[in-house]
Amino acid sequence: MSADLVVEDLTAGYGDAQVLHGLRLTVREGEVCAILGPNGAGKTTLLRALSGMVRTRGTIRLGDAALTGRPPDAVARLGVAHVPEGRGTFMPLTVEENLRLGAYVRRGPDVETDLERVYAYFPVLRKRLKQAAGSLSGGEQQMLALGRALMLRPRLLLLDEPSLGLAPIVTRELFGIVRTINEEERTTVVVVEQNAHLALGVAQQAHVLETGRIVLSGTAAQIQADEQVARSYLGYRV
Amino acid sequence: MSTTGTTEAAAPAPVRQRRRLDRRWAGLALLLAAAVYAPFQLVPFHVFQLTMVLVYAVALLGLNLLVGHAGQISLGHGAFFAVGAYASAVLLDRWDLPYPLTLPVAAAVAFLLGLALGVPAMRLRGLYLALVTLAIAIFLVPLLKRFEELTGGSMGLTLAKPQPPAWSGLAEDQWLYFLTLAVAVAAFLLAASLLRSRVGRALHAVRDNEIAAEVMGVRLSFYKTLAFAWSAMYAGAAGCVYTWVIGFVSPDSFTVNLSITMLAGLVVGGLGSLAGPVLGALFVMFVPSIAQDVNDAAPGVIFGLLIIVVMYVAPTGLAGLAGRLTRKIPRKE
Ligand SMILES: Nc1ncnc2c1ncn2[C@@H]1O[C@H](COP(=O)(O)OP(=O)(O)OP(=O)(O)O)[C@@H](O)[C@H]1O
Ligand SMILES: [Mg+2]
Repeated sequence: MSADLVVEDLTAGYGDAQVLHGLRLTVREGEVCAILGPNGAGKTTLLRALSGMVRTRGTIRLGDAALTGRPPDAVARLGVAHVPEGRGTFMPLTVEENLRLGAYVRRGPDVETDLERVYAYFPVLRKRLKQAAGSLSGGEQQMLALGRALMLRPRLLLLDEPSLGLAPIVTRELFGIVRTINEEERTTVVVVEQNAHLALGVAQQAHVLETGRIVLSGTAAQIQADEQVARSYLGYRV
Repeated sequence: MSTTGTTEAAAPAPVRQRRRLDRRWAGLALLLAAAVYAPFQLVPFHVFQLTMVLVYAVALLGLNLLVGHAGQISLGHGAFFAVGAYASAVLLDRWDLPYPLTLPVAAAVAFLLGLALGVPAMRLRGLYLALVTLAIAIFLVPLLKRFEELTGGSMGLTLAKPQPPAWSGLAEDQWLYFLTLAVAVAAFLLAASLLRSRVGRALHAVRDNEIAAEVMGVRLSFYKTLAFAWSAMYAGAAGCVYTWVIGFVSPDSFTVNLSITMLAGLVVGGLGSLAGPVLGALFVMFVPSIAQDVNDAAPGVIFGLLIIVVMYVAPTGLAGLAGRLTRKIPRKE
């Protein structure tokens, strides 16, 4: 059975303000989809809609499961892990507690196996296990956020600007790991990113969002080649 | 506790952690030994005072679960304390229940009431939650007065205190002290194991970052309500022991002041630590009467000033201050 992410006629917003105006997109199981767009376009809102954090209308399906209208905790139980804008670190808790919280919706002995797997991806976290997560550097916190999301054993991983505030070399390392995770675990990924070069480097498909509408869709290569996109989002090289 | 010296830095992490835990348990054992020894050395009045400190410590352990660990607020904790006290009193007065049985019943009644009131209250946050819980404190006790048949109205109920069994050879005050100590130790162990579990982590997640907690599958309303009900249960148990110790309940014993003093005591003692409730209980027990002594006309002013001084000197509460001081010592070696 395929576990494609299918989004149809998706509208979403806050209170009376509608932010997303009828989005339609499909991400095939095991693929990486990049969402590009200017500030305020609604990229974060799209991810929030996918994980049930904002009021939505329309259809969101992951495989057989309808996600629309479910609260965030129910969506998480269906295997959707969201690394929110700003990472969502539990600052006073230790690194290990943060990671164990990632596996909150699952139980059982395989949590230990998964911890080992996360340490294999991010060796630095193992060294900081008993340290308060708030004392980690920004890059380490982003790794923690990604590691915590993996603890859920997600079928769908949502990443909101993982490069925010990170040095280019750390960002590249992080995207390398995202690619590895995607290839090794066949996790479907939707990544919102300002750094279009990097995002298009790992993605098969991309969509450009402007004021709540998809204005351009295509394969990563097509988007990379688009002149308009090049001017707006690829103006700098990393 | 933990040193930053080179010797410890050289030890591998698990060893270091074990050593810290060992030292922690050693400290607790020492404290328990002192607590067992104390009633044989003190005059009955001081034993009574110590007993009351333990009663308040149990109540504050519960309040700490809600405020310190789940990050919510309650200005109505005294109301659940009163409910536990009255439940115990009515059971003893009306049905002549053996007093040990009143404890689980009082705790259960407070828990269920906490659950019932927590479901609507925990949809609110911050100041709104503070107001609603304050309303609980304001209305619940006068409500008890209305059921005069059962509760003795404004006269209250007077009860016989639990008597020490002959085999123990203890005086009444000592027996009451040890009963209370047993309840307090059980309450402490329950809270400690709860907080170390998956449930404890979920509570902390709700406190530290609601949005992140939710997207990881933690149901906010469930845990907030549960924390409220648990805190009510602790207050109920403490209230029940209060009735055993005092042998008298009346509406005047449980004014809104009690709720406010409890919250203030907990904040002063230290939120989110296991030592905080004990230090806070000392505060609840002694500071109001000290304030009365210093200035009979305006005890509230002195009380308020004391809180301000403590929060200025120790913004993380007395437990945080104690932690900072003990950590400083090894550094100077
Ligand atoms: N919590 C909120 N309440 C009300 N409006 C919001 C909220 N969050 C975002 N918005 C509005 O929704 C619109 C889209 O915001 P969103 O955060 O989705 O943009 P974005 O594409 O992620 O931008 P950025 O690149 O700056 O992160 C903006 O106009 C913003 O003002
Ligand atoms: Mg955004």
